[in-house]
Amino acid sequence: MKWQVAVDNRTIEIDFEQLSAVAEVEPGVYSVLLDGVSYEIRIIGMSNGYSAELGGRRFAVEVRDPRDTRNALRSSTRSGRQNVAAPMPGKVVRVLVNVGDSVDAGQGLVVVEAMKMQNEMKAARPGWVIEVRAGAGETVCAGDTLVVLE
Amino acid sequence: MFGTVLVANRGEIAVRVIRALRDMKIRSVAVFSDADRGALHVRLADQAEHIGPAPSAESYLRVDRILEAAKKHGAEAIHPGYGFLSENAGFAEACAAAGIVFIGPSAEAIRLLGSKTAARILAKQAGAPVVPGSEEPATNVDQARKLARAIGYPVLLKAAAGGGGKGMRRVNQESELDSAIRDAVSEAERAFQNGEVYIEKLIEKPRHIEIQIAGDHQGNLVHLGERECSLQRRYQKVLEECPSPFVAEHPEMRTAMGEAALKVARAAGYNNLGTVEFLADPSGNFYFLEVNTRLQVEHPVTELVTGYDLVQLQIRIASGEALPFAQKDVAWRGWAMECRIGAEDPDNQFIPSPGKIQQLREPSGPGVRLDSGVYPGWTVPLEYDALLAKLVTWGPDRNIAIQRLERALAEYGLTGIQTNISFFLEILGDPEFRAGNISTAFIPDFLARRKPPDDPPRELDVAVALAALAHFQTARVQPTSIAQVEASRWLAAGRNQLLGQV
Repeated sequence: MKWQVAVDNRTIEIDFEQLSAVAEVEPGVYSVLLDGVSYEIRIIGMSNGYSAELGGRRFAVEVRDPRDTRNALRSSTRSGRQNVAAPMPGKVVRVLVNVGDSVDAGQGLVVVEAMKMQNEMKAARPGWVIEVRAGAGETVCAGDTLVVLE
Repeated sequence: MFGTVLVANRGEIAVRVIRALRDMKIRSVAVFSDADRGALHVRLADQAEHIGPAPSAESYLRVDRILEAAKKHGAEAIHPGYGFLSENAGFAEACAAAGIVFIGPSAEAIRLLGSKTAARILAKQAGAPVVPGSEEPATNVDQARKLARAIGYPVLLKAAAGGGGKGMRRVNQESELDSAIRDAVSEAERAFQNGEVYIEKLIEKPRHIEIQIAGDHQGNLVHLGERECSLQRRYQKVLEECPSPFVAEHPEMRTAMGEAALKVARAAGYNNLGTVEFLADPSGNFYFLEVNTRLQVEHPVTELVTGYDLVQLQIRIASGEALPFAQKDVAWRGWAMECRIGAEDPDNQFIPSPGKIQQLREPSGPGVRLDSGVYPGWTVPLEYDALLAKLVTWGPDRNIAIQRLERALAEYGLTGIQTNISFFLEILGDPEFRAGNISTAFIPDFLARRKPPDDPPRELDVAVALAALAHFQTARVQPTSIAQVEASRWLAAGRNQLLGQV
């Protein structure tokens, strides 16, 4: 039975027996010996799979269970809606739009500050503001929807 | 010598100062905000005192609370580190009024050199070369237009009280001047409560080279050579080295810049440590920029090449000791280079990445020094700047220092938050950087020509896939927490109910 693992969207097929090459040396840290070559990989769980680190380089990894029939693509539905989300945890400094405003592509919507850096969330496409979920002074998490456009 | 010293800072610099104090058998007092109760500097200090909520205006910038903590713990002196209150003349005065030694220059010197216009006039009078520009802040647009015409475009607008690039604007031609002044003034007012802006000639693609100085209360004043800090992103230094590759090719520049720096320091009646910053153009002309009246972030590169402990030196000078060496004793050996390891995502416009550090393996080995303020399990707060640690290597020459830095960066295993480690590996591999062809335009240029990394060899992908699959198996057998399992059962029940399957 082959398992499929997507490493930065490149699909790698793995036989279960190959796992004999792996030793967990510390929690979440794996030593892998492949044809005598030694690799050390750090893995942590993310909301959408795993993040791996090897020699200063990072990889986004997703494991697909072959017995899981829902393992088809997680296709992102491309509707007319546009959720503008916080790319990082932080504090909302300013909200630049109101519900009902029309916005152009690239127009600033919300300013979020973290670690003394201010970042302006921008509209990717033109549209209307149908919802504002952020208020100045609020603390937000990475991925929180701040503004919904249509 | 002092028996107890309070460290009015946090993060890696607080740890650095605490280490110097411990070397000197001086008791250290840490201060901390709500966000920093479990911070490394609190863990390492001999004593610690809570000084307020997470925002720095309510904690690390509170002069009253810091002085109260110093008195409570019997501290005879305060080391301010860099940032926060380190260049605040009012704080230095308040320390003196409370009978506590401020480890740094006098309040007068801080005030004098803290104003960019005053410092510039002082430098010019002392005989140091300055960038052609205005002596007085430009108060209105008409006056600014005349000044800019006299200097010649392109010009640079700079906030008199500025730092870190705030209130700074490049103006290529007269038509851009009005709006640039408006922006610079409002930005300066917001950042520094002082909207004064002055105008100077823009030096294209300059190198940023600075001279470390040290002076005691006995009137001895020396320089410890230069650091090159040309690699900057948004006016923030990211990589520094000593010597400067440019000065290494033009050795007479070290003497000339060192003498110019000492002239400025002498004119300001400077004591303790400080840094005189210069811009250098490709022909080797250099111009006074400003004086930083504190310890610099990048001080370790000078320490590794000169062999002096600059923090210990600050403490000895503040306690009244004379400099233990003279200018003729200062020698420079080998090469040192520093990377500022930050919690930011280099593949996503360098957005900040606060959060919990899951795993951490710190590099070590020959020629490696790590000044870090974090540990595995520490949650990097979002209230403070993104600097996690400084990775510094030393080698007998620049190439070996770079090789060691590459090795150490690859050894640095940090997960849970994004860091700029991979970005430094890209820079160190760049042929222009290797050749020492750098300027303050290097990083913007590099980012413009930077290509997405090539796909790694397939073996790497297979190794990563195997590790992930092994992790997937373990995680399935041993759920990370009961709460998670409960939560997912609860979610599943909710979903089933919604779908009418229960």
